Amino acid sequence: MLTFQNVSRFYNDWPALENINFKVQRGEFLVVSGPSGAGKTTLFRHIWMGDLPSIGTVEVAGYRSDRIRKDDLPLLRRKLGIVFQDFRLLPERTVFDNVALPLQVAGTSPKAIRRRVFSLLAEMELNHRRSSYPHELSGGEQQRVAIARAMVAHPVILLADEPTGNLDPEVSRRVIDLLIEINRSGTAVILATHDPRQVPAGTARFLYLERGHLVNPGIWDGYRQL
Amino acid sequence: MIHLIKNAINEGLLNIRRKLGSFLITLLMVSLSFMVFDIFLIISWNLGTALKNEQENVGIEVFLRDNITEVEAVNLADIISGMEGVRSVYYVSPEEAEAVFRADLPEQADLLTLLGPQFHLPASIQISLQPDYRTSDKVGGLARTVSGMDGVEDIVYGKEYLPGLTRAVDILAKLVILAGLVLAVSLSLVVANTVRLAVTRRALAVQIMSIVGAPGWFVRVPFLGEGLLTGVAGAAGSLLLTVAVSWMLSSSVPHEFLPVKWVMLVLILGASSGAAGSWIGMKSGIPKPRS
Ligand SMILES: Nc1ncnc2c1ncn2[C@@H]1O[C@H](COP(=O)(O)OP(=O)(O)OP(=O)(O)O)[C@@H](O)[C@H]1O
Ligand SMILES: [Mg+2]
Repeated sequence: MLTFQNVSRFYNDWPALENINFKVQRGEFLVVSGPSGAGKTTLFRHIWMGDLPSIGTVEVAGYRSDRIRKDDLPLLRRKLGIVFQDFRLLPERTVFDNVALPLQVAGTSPKAIRRRVFSLLAEMELNHRRSSYPHELSGGEQQRVAIARAMVAHPVILLADEPTGNLDPEVSRRVIDLLIEINRSGTAVILATHDPRQVPAGTARFLYLERGHLVNPGIWDGYRQL
Repeated sequence: MIHLIKNAINEGLLNIRRKLGSFLITLLMVSLSFMVFDIFLIISWNLGTALKNEQENVGIEVFLRDNITEVEAVNLADIISGMEGVRSVYYVSPEEAEAVFRADLPEQADLLTLLGPQFHLPASIQISLQPDYRTSDKVGGLARTVSGMDGVEDIVYGKEYLPGLTRAVDILAKLVILAGLVLAVSLSLVVANTVRLAVTRRALAVQIMSIVGAPGWFVRVPFLGEGLLTGVAGAAGSLLLTVAVSWMLSSSVPHEFLPVKWVMLVLILGASSGAAGSWIGMKSGIPKPRS
């Protein structure tokens, strides 16, 4: 479902990613960790094809980076849910409208949007917050809204780039638990984090990035080397 | 698809409502600069109409020698009527010339009586011209040809005012086109700048929309709409202001307002420069999405 094949990405001849190879299967949980500047965000950007590889190909949900047309990008992105460290909620929209956004830009009918958003907000215990604006929420609530927005269109892969980076440990745990729960219900989850120990052993597969390289792929389990 | 289009339009309207104040100020600015153009157009339209009326009257009056017979005169008229640029000719006999003189200038009629029966006004041929022959160049050429003909004593046509008027209208038409161009460029730049600012201000929304799968046009339509609206509403506002000014001045400076065709032209100019402006603004404003 997701394949990186000999992917390198150069910025002015400087490699941010070099010869990356890995696959993610349907419903898998993958944790990508590594120090700051290792290339985690760059890797994610290649998944949603906000950037294309200099060498090699990325294939996501049937779309290949070397063949994708501009018009296909929205279609690819509707199959992905993306969560950022800094939430990136739209400040002038309510919680409801933020969560509804992916459906609104896909042309879903208002009635279907209402049904889906209400049930998702209820599921994520955000229903009482649906008319609030992002600045009225705590960081943890904001991140849960961002996760709801990422999940609202039933993505096949959820990308979470350091979603707990701005949250305290207690709230972080709730967010990680939420991701695990989402993964259990069948969505593949790819999580980038500085601290792979957040994710309990056995629930996920681990990759370690360092200066644009994957270190010992397939062997590294996120614990032994720390 | 219908929902998608509706959402894109709503998004645009929402953007405008969020900064209604600055939008209205931009609109006023556009209206005022368009108003200068509108007034220019009105002046040009009215002068153009005046010239046209003058040109309608432009004809050539050919006075014939005294010794010419009526048959010869009619022959001459026939030849002239076959010449290029001539719409019609009319032979005025001495008797008719006298009747016209008496009717037009009754106070001077005694003069004729005083001069006695042996005096009579000269016969003449009135030439009226094809519309596209009513320019100084062409009238002049025709007049020279006719004045060289046998039996022609003298020729009169509006050579005093014609070259001046023709040139004035020529220059005015060029000025109007120039002013329209200047206006289109400056409006495009104003709109380009506001759209670029709007894109920058809404960079997060632009990025998030593209990341959650909005088609490119969905992201662009609100900005394009804003530019288009600025152009059309600005042009319409200027027309309203100009109508008011025109109405206030109508008693002291009699004039006509612009015809519908020209009004449409002003609106189209506003719309197209607004659209062009927002396109330029987006081109320089919307970045490639990066996380
Ligand atoms: N568009 C770009 N142009 C130039 N250099 C870039 C670009 N994007 C990323 N880089 C460089 O690539 C390297 C990897 O950056 P990236 O953001 O992927 O790291 P990261 O692993 O996400 O770091 P962090 O944990 O701090 O978020 C960095 O050195 C960065 O400066
Ligand atoms: Mg990063």
